[in-house]
Amino acid sequence: MTETRPPIISLNGVSKSFKDGQVQAIEDLSFDVRPGEFVSLVGPSGCGKTTLLRLIDGLVAPDRGTVLVNGRPPDPTYNMAMVFQSSRLLPWRTVAGNIDFVLGLRGHAPKARKSRVQALLGAVGLREFAEAYPHELSGGMQQRVGLARALAVEPEVLLMDEPFAALDAMTRETLRGELLRLWDRRRMAVVFVTHDIDEAIILSQRIIVLRPRPGRIDAVVPVDLPEPRWQTDPRGLPAYADLRRALWDRIHAMGREGVALEELTGAFGDEP
Amino acid sequence: MADQLKLDTDAPAAAGKTRRRRNAGSPRGSAGYERRRSRRIATTWQVCILLALIAGMKILNTTSGNLVMPSPEAVFWQSVEMWADGTIPRALGESLTVLGLGFILASTSGIMIGILLGGFPFLGRVLDPYVNAVNATPGAAFIPLIIVWFGLYAEAKIALVWLAAVFPVLINTTAGISNANKDLIEMAQSFGASRWTLFWQVMVPDALPSILSGLRIGAAICIVGTVIAELTMAQSGLGGLMIKAGNRFQMDRYFAVVIVMMALGSLITIGLRLAERRLGRWRVAMQDGG
Repeated sequence: MTETRPPIISLNGVSKSFKDGQVQAIEDLSFDVRPGEFVSLVGPSGCGKTTLLRLIDGLVAPDRGTVLVNGRPPDPTYNMAMVFQSSRLLPWRTVAGNIDFVLGLRGHAPKARKSRVQALLGAVGLREFAEAYPHELSGGMQQRVGLARALAVEPEVLLMDEPFAALDAMTRETLRGELLRLWDRRRMAVVFVTHDIDEAIILSQRIIVLRPRPGRIDAVVPVDLPEPRWQTDPRGLPAYADLRRALWDRIHAMGREGVALEELTGAFGDEP
Repeated sequence: MADQLKLDTDAPAAAGKTRRRRNAGSPRGSAGYERRRSRRIATTWQVCILLALIAGMKILNTTSGNLVMPSPEAVFWQSVEMWADGTIPRALGESLTVLGLGFILASTSGIMIGILLGGFPFLGRVLDPYVNAVNATPGAAFIPLIIVWFGLYAEAKIALVWLAAVFPVLINTTAGISNANKDLIEMAQSFGASRWTLFWQVMVPDALPSILSGLRIGAAICIVGTVIAELTMAQSGLGGLMIKAGNRFQMDRYFAVVIVMMALGSLITIGLRLAERRLGRWRVAMQDGG
């Protein structure tokens, strides 16, 4: 059913370079994301993952090719939201004030905002921290506020740039579960950038493996594991191990083709 | 035997206590305790230095006479007299009027122009050499011009104070806005903030700590400007009182006025530093927490 609907994000032959063409960040890259789909982008550093998100968000324009969101060139005022690696909360506003800020940007009336803020904070379990300032919160809590802020605009497209990379393992695990639960309920399209192969498998329906310098698509790997995964952990399943091995084979192949080994190990942490 | 046993068990407990004490002094555990302790030691030293200075005055006075150095008690009694007969309060009032009006004008206009130059970076770039040129010129260089334009009285003095203090405020405001956190700007853009919202709700608040340090520097310059104006234009206020006493070699009167100036300057800087710390608290916390 969903497959027949037009893609919500559509990239076609997109190239982007920086420093007047000296650094080619992305070259001739094409992929689609369906409405409500959860897609992860993985790959070593230097493959332009963050640039891709900024292109989709309309913060930068491509040199060549087209980026379409809902059939139109991207525009940040469209129902799109970004969650960053560092939470990027306004330090002079309270938790509630930070969410109120984006509601204000979307032109919600001040009266209606208050109950919306409360509901959103409830959804991420931070109701009692409404009046706290960001610096008073732990990294995990700050990232939850970042998530609540993104959800505040009721996005049809949620862009996430390594949102859990800076958190400790336990918090990361909890937040992954919460993200999946929220996604399950709202079914927005998610483009999730990560360095972590396990994170990509646990969260997404499809994984796009990128190769670096310049960023190109190496492989598109569908994840056919049972959902919802926030209820049952897929990590014990044989299919999970197969998928993980397949992804690692892709990455090792990249290594054989001359991608520096330290880039791979650097990107994928303590892996084999 | 029992006593012996008791002693033995006490020893490690005592050792444990001292170890804990040392841990408490570590930066994480009880930084507050350590800070209070060092503040107390610092205060003790400060009082010692003050007493040494007074003793030094007294020694110099007895060896070299009243002209080289008035005796501390003469300065004290002269101060009491000048406060009681209204000389110092009147002069203080005159000085504070010039200082206060000059500072209010300098800070409001400095912040407004600074925001304008920060908001229109092209304008800021065009005007940069002129701002720098005037800022780098000593305020005293403008005194003859100010006298011709504004005369010798309060207006001229306020104009001098304004001219001296407006640039640090302006430059800090502009710098704070143009150095506003790029990550926060990108965040607001990604949520579709208009340029207007981005400017007033992200860049200007982010510049607030920088604006406040501009105000603190400006206030310190205002004090210097006020005294210079009172010396070089129509003599008035604390500066006038000071130069009159000095010209008549009334060193005890002179010192009584200088002490008031010192206290005034210290109070103003301390007050602004407190305001800066209060309003800029989130920034301090951010730097601590990473």
